[in-house]
Amino acid sequence: MRIPTEWIKEFCGIDATNDQMVNQLTMAGVECCFLDSSTQEILDLSLTPNRADCFSVIGICRELAVLNNLIIKTDKHDDLTIHHQSEMEIDIESPNDCPVFMTRIINNIDINRETPDWMIKRLESSGFKSNNIIVDITNYIMLETGQPLHAYDLSKIDSKIQVRRGYNNEKIILLDETIKKVNKTFLLITDNSKALGIAGIMGGQHSGISADTENIVLESACFNHKTIMGRSRILNLHTESGLRFERGVDPLIQKHAIERATQLINEYSDGQNGPISIKQDDESIPPKQPIMLRKKRIHQILGITIANYKVYEILTKLDMRVVEQEYGYSGWLVTPPSFRFDINEECDLIEELARIYGYQNIDEKNETQETTLSNTRKRSTRINRINNVMVGRGYSEVINYSFISPSMNIMMGTDSKTIDIKNPLSIEMSVMRTSLLPGLLQNLMYNLQRQHENIKLFESAKIFTHNDKTNREKDVIAGICYGSKTKEQWGLESNPIDYYDVKGDLEMLFSDLGIHDQVTYSKDSHPMLCPGKNAKIDLDGITVGHVGELSPELIMELDLVQTPILFEIDKNHLKLPNQMHYQDHPYFPSSRRDISLLIPENQETLAILKTIQQLEIPILKNVIIFDVYKGKNIESGLISVALGLIFQAKSRTLTDEEIDRYMSNIKRQIVSNFELKIRQ
Amino acid sequence: MTVILSDLLIAALNEIKDSKTLAGLDDIRVRYLGKKGKITTQLKLLGSMDPNEKPIFGQEINATKKRVEDELQLKKTELKKSTIAKNIETSSIDVTLPGREYLSGSIHPITATLMEIENIFLSAGFNIEDGPEIENEYYNFSALNIPENHPARAMHDTFYVGSDLLLRTHTSPVQIRSMEKEGVPIKVIAPGKVYRRDSDLTHIPMFHQVEGLVIDQGINFSHLKGILHEFINCFFEKELELRFRPSYFPFTEPSAEVDILSEDGKWLEILGCGMVHPKVLENLDLDSEIYTGYAFGMGVERLVMLKYDIKDIRLFYENDLNFISQFN
Repeated sequence: MRIPTEWIKEFCGIDATNDQMVNQLTMAGVECCFLDSSTQEILDLSLTPNRADCFSVIGICRELAVLNNLIIKTDKHDDLTIHHQSEMEIDIESPNDCPVFMTRIINNIDINRETPDWMIKRLESSGFKSNNIIVDITNYIMLETGQPLHAYDLSKIDSKIQVRRGYNNEKIILLDETIKKVNKTFLLITDNSKALGIAGIMGGQHSGISADTENIVLESACFNHKTIMGRSRILNLHTESGLRFERGVDPLIQKHAIERATQLINEYSDGQNGPISIKQDDESIPPKQPIMLRKKRIHQILGITIANYKVYEILTKLDMRVVEQEYGYSGWLVTPPSFRFDINEECDLIEELARIYGYQNIDEKNETQETTLSNTRKRSTRINRINNVMVGRGYSEVINYSFISPSMNIMMGTDSKTIDIKNPLSIEMSVMRTSLLPGLLQNLMYNLQRQHENIKLFESAKIFTHNDKTNREKDVIAGICYGSKTKEQWGLESNPIDYYDVKGDLEMLFSDLGIHDQVTYSKDSHPMLCPGKNAKIDLDGITVGHVGELSPELIMELDLVQTPILFEIDKNHLKLPNQMHYQDHPYFPSSRRDISLLIPENQETLAILKTIQQLEIPILKNVIIFDVYKGKNIESGLISVALGLIFQAKSRTLTDEEIDRYMSNIKRQIVSNFELKIRQ
Repeated sequence: MTVILSDLLIAALNEIKDSKTLAGLDDIRVRYLGKKGKITTQLKLLGSMDPNEKPIFGQEINATKKRVEDELQLKKTELKKSTIAKNIETSSIDVTLPGREYLSGSIHPITATLMEIENIFLSAGFNIEDGPEIENEYYNFSALNIPENHPARAMHDTFYVGSDLLLRTHTSPVQIRSMEKEGVPIKVIAPGKVYRRDSDLTHIPMFHQVEGLVIDQGINFSHLKGILHEFINCFFEKELELRFRPSYFPFTEPSAEVDILSEDGKWLEILGCGMVHPKVLENLDLDSEIYTGYAFGMGVERLVMLKYDIKDIRLFYENDLNFISQFN
C-alpha cells in the first residue's frame, strides 16, 4: 500500500520527521520505506496479512498516534441534507456472509465534473489511476477509511439488490471486462435478472458508472472475511477491495464511510441524497469478547516483566478496554477494538505489548536449558566425508533445480512414473527429476560452451519417483567427467578420462566408507549409458547405482567430441564405517609370483580372480593386475593379462617350495576353468 | 721389509694417488690385492722362507695389504664425493617450473554455507534433522496454524504435485515431524531445499533454508534474541549491529524479523523468527501452558549473498565453474 506522507500528516498532525516516522512504524511491525527516498513524498508500506486495520490512512495514523501519544483528527461530517426518500430494496440471503449492507441513492449527480487536483494527486501517489469523479471518490474514501465502497448506475439495476451465493458455473463480466466463472463458494451482488458484481472483490461491467450515469446507488458493506478469503486467489483477481475484505473490514465504519463519500460527492459532483438504507444483522457481528491477559504469562513468553502501569497504558492506547483483575496482580481483562481482527487470544495481546514496548527493550539471554550431547557421526559427518572424497578427487559440486523439462527427463527412459507439478512455472520446470544425470549433462554442456575443458562435476540431491501410488524420494549422489585426466602441462601426458578413472574415484569413496569389499560391478543396461560400457554397482547384493560411458546416441545428439563418464549412486546405502578394530600386524617377508595369461577378449577378469579366491589359499595376501594388453604380438580376439600374486604368512617366513605348490594349484585351476593360456 | 714389498707398496700408493675413476681404482685393487694380485702373490713366497722369518714377513704382507686397502677406501670416498659434486653441478633442475597439477574440486557455496551454519548450531547443542521435500497440506500448512484460504498462504506460492501433495514451501514440516517422533524437549535445526512458485530477478523457485526449533519449559523471547545474535556474529565473523522488529508468521507469536546494518547504512532482512504459537504446540499435543518454544528460519542464498557480496541470486543455479569453484 502507498500513501502520500502529507495525507498522513494532515490526519494525525505528527511532529516527527519523515525518517523517524518510517523508523517508528517499521519497529512497530508496520514495515515501510519511502518510494523515493530523495523526496520522501510517498510512504510504501508492506503490510503483513494480520494487520487488516492498517489498510488505510486512518489505520496508519492510529499506529502513529499510539507511538507518539497523538490524537487523530476525526472528520466530522455535518448532518447531510436528505433530498428525497427513495431507497433500494435489499435482500440478504445469509446475514452471516454479509452482516452489514448500506446503500444510498443519490440522484442527479454531475458525472462530468473534474476530480479536484489535490484528490487526483493523492490517488495517483497511492497508485490509483483517476477515473470519473464518483469512482475517484469511492477509491479515496477506501484509502482514507479502509472501507471499500461501490457505486452502481441506478438505471442498470433491475428492481432490487440481492446478496447471495453464486450458482455453480455462473458467469459474470467484471469491470475490467474479464469473464469469470464462479460457484457457490462465492458471494455475489445481483439484481432480479443478473449478477452485479463479486462481493468484496469487483463490480460487474454492466452496472458500473459510465459517462452518462445520472443516478447512482452507493454501497458500503461489510462482508464476512471468512467468506471472501481465498476467492481472489482462486480467480487470480487481486483487487484493493478484495485485499481489505479478506483480511477484515471494521464492521462499525460503514455508516461513517458512506457519509464521508456522500459529503464529497455533494461537494464535487452535486447530487441529491436519499436516506441511508441499512440492512444489518447484529447477531452476525459478534462483539469482541474480553481476553484474560495474565501477568505471569507475559513473563513466561517474553522473559521480562513489564510494569503494570505500562501494560495498561499500551493497551488503552491501542483502543482496548482494559479491566484490572485483582488490582492487576493476576492480570487484565482486555477487550480489543472492532477493527483488530488479529487479536483473539492471550498470545495476540502479548505480541501487541511486545511490539509497542519495543523488541529492542527485551534483554538477550542465554538458555540455561539442559543440553544433551550428540554424536554427529550419523548425518553431517557422512555428508562431509562423501563431499570431501569427491572434492579430493577433483569434482566440483553443482546444485540444480529439482524440477526439469519432460524432454530432459525422458533421457532416463519412460519406465519410472514421474511426479508432475500441477502448476509449473514453465514446461521447462514441470517434472520432478528421476535422476540427477540429465541435469549434470546440462551443466557439462553449459561449461563446455564457456570454454572449460576438463570437467568433473557432482551433485548430491533427491530424486523423485512415483511407484504403486506412492511417492518416493531418494538421496543420490551423481557425477559426470569429461576431458583429460590432468590439465595440459609439461611432463605429463594428457590422457582422456575413461571408465576406469571414474571407477577408481568410486572405489576411493567406497574405501573411505569402509565398504569397498562389499561392492561388485557387473555389466548392465541403462537408458543413458553405452551398452557394454556401463556397470551396475551392487552393495551386498543390492543394486545401488550405475557407472559408465554416455550412450553414443546422446554423444551424437549433443555433438560432443569426447566421451563423458557418468555415475549415480543411492546415497542412503553409503553408511559410515562401523566402529573399527585394530588388527595385529607382525611382519614376515612376502613373496611375489607373476603370471601372464592370454584370455579371450570377452572374458571378464573378475571371474578368474574369483576362481583364485575360491581356492582359499591362506597365505595368498593379494592379487594385483599389473598389465592388460592387446594388440601387437597378441593374437586377435585375445588379451594379455598379467597378474602379480603376493604371498605372505602371519607367523613365519614362506619357503619357495610351498609357494610353488600353491602356484601350480592356481594354474591348474584357472586353466581347467577357463579358456586361457598361461604365457611362459 | 723386503725391497720388493716396499717397492710394490710405493707403486700401489702412487697409482692410487693418480687414479681418476672408480673403475680405475677397482683395477688397481685387482692388480695388487686380487687373487693373482702382486701383493697377494707375495704370500706364496712364505712357503720357501726361513721358519723364523715367516711370521715377520707374513705380518709385513698383511700390513701392506691393509695400507693399500685403506688408501683405496680413502681414494674411493674422495672420488665418490667429487662425482656427486660434479653431478650436482651438471644436473640441477629448474625449480621454477610449475608443479604437476591435477584437477581440483570444490564445494558449492550453498552446501559450504549450510555446513557452516550446521556446525555453529551443532556447537550450541542442536540436532540436525532431514525430512521429505514432497509434503502434504497438513505438515506444510495446517499443523503450522496456516488454515486453508488464510491470506498467509499467499505468502507461500505453492507448487502442487497432487490434490493434497505439494513441494514444501519451508522446512518447518521437518520440525513438526521430528517433534512427533522425538517429543519434548527438542532442539533441532532443519536444513534443506524449499520451493516457492516465484521467479524473477530476486526470486528463484527453489532455494535453501535452515529452520530451527527449540521447545522446553522456560524458553522465552529473550533466549531467542540471545541465540540469534550469537549466531549472526558467528556466521559473519564480526560484531554486527542488528535489530529485531515485529513481523507476522502464522506459526509464531510474537514474531520478528531480524535485520543487520549493512556497511552503507541500510537495514537488511536476514531471518524470521518468533515464539512458537500456542496452537502449533497444541497441534503437537503439548500443553502450551507448560511448554514454550522459539523457532527461526533463514534463507541460505540470502546469507551467502550478504557474506560474499554476491548480487545475483540466479548465479547459484547456473553452475558455472568460474563461479562455483571460487568457494573452497
